[in-house]
Amino acid sequence: MDMFFIALGLLLLGGIFPFFVNDNSKIKICSYFAGLSTVVFVLYSILVLLTGKPIIANIYLSSLFGNVNFVIDALSAFFILIISVMSFIGIIYANGYLKSYIGKNKFNISVHCFFLMLLIASMIGVVTVQNSLLFLILWEIMSLSSFFLVIFESDKKEVISSGIKYLIYMHLSVIFIILAFALLNIYSGSLNFMDFSELLSKNKHFSNIVFLLAFTGFGIKAGFFPFHNWLPDAHPAAPSHVSGIMSGVMIKTGIYGILRILYLISIPSKLMAYTVLIIALLSSMYGVLYAITQHDIKRLLAYHSIENIGIIGIGIGIGLIGIVYNNPVAAVLGFSGGLLHILNHSIFKELLFFSAGSVYKQTHTRNIEYLGGIIKNMPYSSLLFAIGSIAISGLPPFNGFISELLIYGAMISGLPAPNTTVFITIIVSLASLAIVGTMAILCFTKAFGVMFLGSPRSEQAANVQNDVEKIMIIPMVILAFFALIIGIFPQYAASLVLSPVSLFIQGEIIINVFAILIQLLSYISLLFFVFILIILIITGLKFFISKKSRQYSTWGCGYDKPNNHMQYTASSYADLFVSTLKPMFKRIAHIKKPKELFPKDAYYEVEIEDIEEAYIVKPLLKFDEKILSKFEKIQNGNIQQYILFGLIFLLIAIIGLKYFG
Amino acid sequence: MLDIFINIFILLTVPFLMIGVIKKTKAFWSGRKGINIFQPFWDFLRLLNKETVYSSTTSWIFKITPIINFSVIFFASLFVPMANGLAIINIPFAFIIFSYVLALGKFFTLISALDTGSSFEGMGASREACFSTLVEPAFFIAIGSITALTQNYTFQSLKLILENAGIYGYLVITLAIITLFIMLLIECSRVPVDDPATHLELTMIHEVMILDNSGIDLALILWTSAIKMFLFASLISALIIPTGLPQIISILLFLSIIFIISIIIGTIESSTARYRMTHVFEFVFIMSITALLILTLVTYKLYGN
Repeated sequence: MDMFFIALGLLLLGGIFPFFVNDNSKIKICSYFAGLSTVVFVLYSILVLLTGKPIIANIYLSSLFGNVNFVIDALSAFFILIISVMSFIGIIYANGYLKSYIGKNKFNISVHCFFLMLLIASMIGVVTVQNSLLFLILWEIMSLSSFFLVIFESDKKEVISSGIKYLIYMHLSVIFIILAFALLNIYSGSLNFMDFSELLSKNKHFSNIVFLLAFTGFGIKAGFFPFHNWLPDAHPAAPSHVSGIMSGVMIKTGIYGILRILYLISIPSKLMAYTVLIIALLSSMYGVLYAITQHDIKRLLAYHSIENIGIIGIGIGIGLIGIVYNNPVAAVLGFSGGLLHILNHSIFKELLFFSAGSVYKQTHTRNIEYLGGIIKNMPYSSLLFAIGSIAISGLPPFNGFISELLIYGAMISGLPAPNTTVFITIIVSLASLAIVGTMAILCFTKAFGVMFLGSPRSEQAANVQNDVEKIMIIPMVILAFFALIIGIFPQYAASLVLSPVSLFIQGEIIINVFAILIQLLSYISLLFFVFILIILIITGLKFFISKKSRQYSTWGCGYDKPNNHMQYTASSYADLFVSTLKPMFKRIAHIKKPKELFPKDAYYEVEIEDIEEAYIVKPLLKFDEKILSKFEKIQNGNIQQYILFGLIFLLIAIIGLKYFG
Repeated sequence: MLDIFINIFILLTVPFLMIGVIKKTKAFWSGRKGINIFQPFWDFLRLLNKETVYSSTTSWIFKITPIINFSVIFFASLFVPMANGLAIINIPFAFIIFSYVLALGKFFTLISALDTGSSFEGMGASREACFSTLVEPAFFIAIGSITALTQNYTFQSLKLILENAGIYGYLVITLAIITLFIMLLIECSRVPVDDPATHLELTMIHEVMILDNSGIDLALILWTSAIKMFLFASLISALIIPTGLPQIISILLFLSIIFIISIIIGTIESSTARYRMTHVFEFVFIMSITALLILTLVTYKLYGN
């Protein structure tokens, strides 16, 4: 465990060093340190995942914390693996991405590097520490450091406002987590997770309440509906490598929290299973529905994070239903699918954010309506985005398919269910996952087709000269490679999740189920090779048979001077679908009608607002403002008075403690 | 082993004959002599020899799409029970792999349509993408409910167990056939959803996405869509053919069902017009309703008492 702390120290050191070197080598230093620590973390986590035995360090920190347990059990190891590797890849990408920001005074690279390393270190800390107080402190460090990463381009007004929104949501999240831990602390008299476990397994109602509080708190971090609103604002505001790390890695700490609580509870109740499943189903549907309407590529990807977090949740939910109704096959498959999807999502979501970032770097726009035709000048980025799109849509032979197959498998092995409720739930989940899959296809054909294909829709897109530099391509190639490898060798990926899954499901049966699963996946792997072989044979045959070819313009009913504005746009592509589901969206149209005899300018712009934000969050905020504006007077800028308020508060607190404590 | 060869032989020959039979049926209803039923095959060979024209807007996506699509359909056909009710590959969860592999083909068709930068093809892609979001869940509800009855997750075993389920089994089979037939009409873009013989780009769905394909690419695409229709027809016939028949009779029965389905498709195309685009949704929803009926029946059978 010593090496583990040294690696954590290395991360922090890598965060401090950049203050003392010149601008060009700051992020380089970070990547060296992150690389070194990643090696250590990967070794630790592989060791734990293979043996299944936890590594424990018990350290006396101070009288406040008492003895703090740092534990790398299978669950932590799985998350450490994802956090360290994916963050490292993100930092390599940042080497290229940050180049255009270097040398400008308004961007402080050193501070950015510091918080980047701090974020990684705190995430690793969060998933290993088993003491609730230290957990909360690290959790807060994680939220704050990511806040500073989000507001990197702080000269822009919208960046600051999304940053603040993010901060508020994160603190809403931490309130619920504190409540859950406080309850546990009061009844167990301890800060250690171990002691909670005993308490939680005894009292069913108590564990339900704790779970709901923790699920809300961690769910906000993970981006579950209806607390997802920070995601679509924070991701576009952050620089691309940060969006990649946040969406690919950081929101998974929310999932980690939920899983940790479930592990501590050990015997889940029906309430927990249905809560997780229903919220997850809603999140996945909601996320993908709104993703279809977005034109800002990073907002679109952020909504897809909500969808994928939903899919992870569906896996876990079905797994829980399997445990509750004593169906170990469904439980094992559900948990494996959910956990594997955590890994898969971090891979393809980073890949997509990075390739979208490359496009942003070359074109300076995130609006896909202004793009098009850049596949010719940015061949690598577009191929990589295509791979990411196929993977995230859950299509074979990439990794997204494997985890979705496992989740489908869990649902089907849950049939025939013990009663009607479960049966209908499973069938509804089956249909929802299917519809989410097809909507993802709709969304990503739109994103890929409009961004990269066709002819350029604007000057920016037409002026792209070349692809991004190698240092940005390489991390994406690694990610695409991971996506393919997990897709065509699913049996090895599945064995990665064996030990974390066995934490949740008791009994010997898990080994048998896993043996069958691995056998099935090896067979599927073989089938994918057949598939690739078929593609190669057909390609060869086509090459052999095909006659000469020539180039001509696109068919336009005999009109051979098509221009860029005749193409289908992202809005028109999605319009048929969006207009079919009209009640689900709030459309705001900005129209300027053509006037006068010789109209000069006219436009029609449609914006789609999140209904959850428009009808729930905003009215709540308005209500809040109405009440709080009554207290405006006490904010008078007089420091003496503020000190007085502080004193009064302390007095009330002391009196309160005296009488109720 | 023999089964596999028979299956592959049928797979390579019958799909074009299906198209031929449909065209012949349409000719019959409109009082024409019509083409030879082998004509689609000759068309295919003729296209192979033609020059390919690529739009200067297109990229490698456009070039690989026909290959991917054909490989996808060939791969998907391995999971479908054909002659003698046997599929070449029999694994659990085959229907998930089947529909996701087909979705990969659809993904490429859609982006290849957008690759041309044509407004027509974008329109077709938009429609296709939209309709398929409604088809897939219905398919999954239907198949999911049926697997609940059978507890076995391969296509092949469905029939046997449904037969043992008595009257409910037969009702479910009938509804499943209707669901699959509507799915065939939508996925293979036949009337009343789409008219493959139309001459107006604005009303097309699938045809309009392949406007720019020519030569060998077009040949591959035509073959692909013929096989796709054949696969759905085979799924339907797998539900109809009783189990336990001698092999030769079973194969003959299979072929005759395939051709009867083609004749039915031809007759529908001669007797009805394409729906207006807005009404297509209503047609697609019929499929969801039959799927939900299957779900209700299965629920009643499993938990009714």
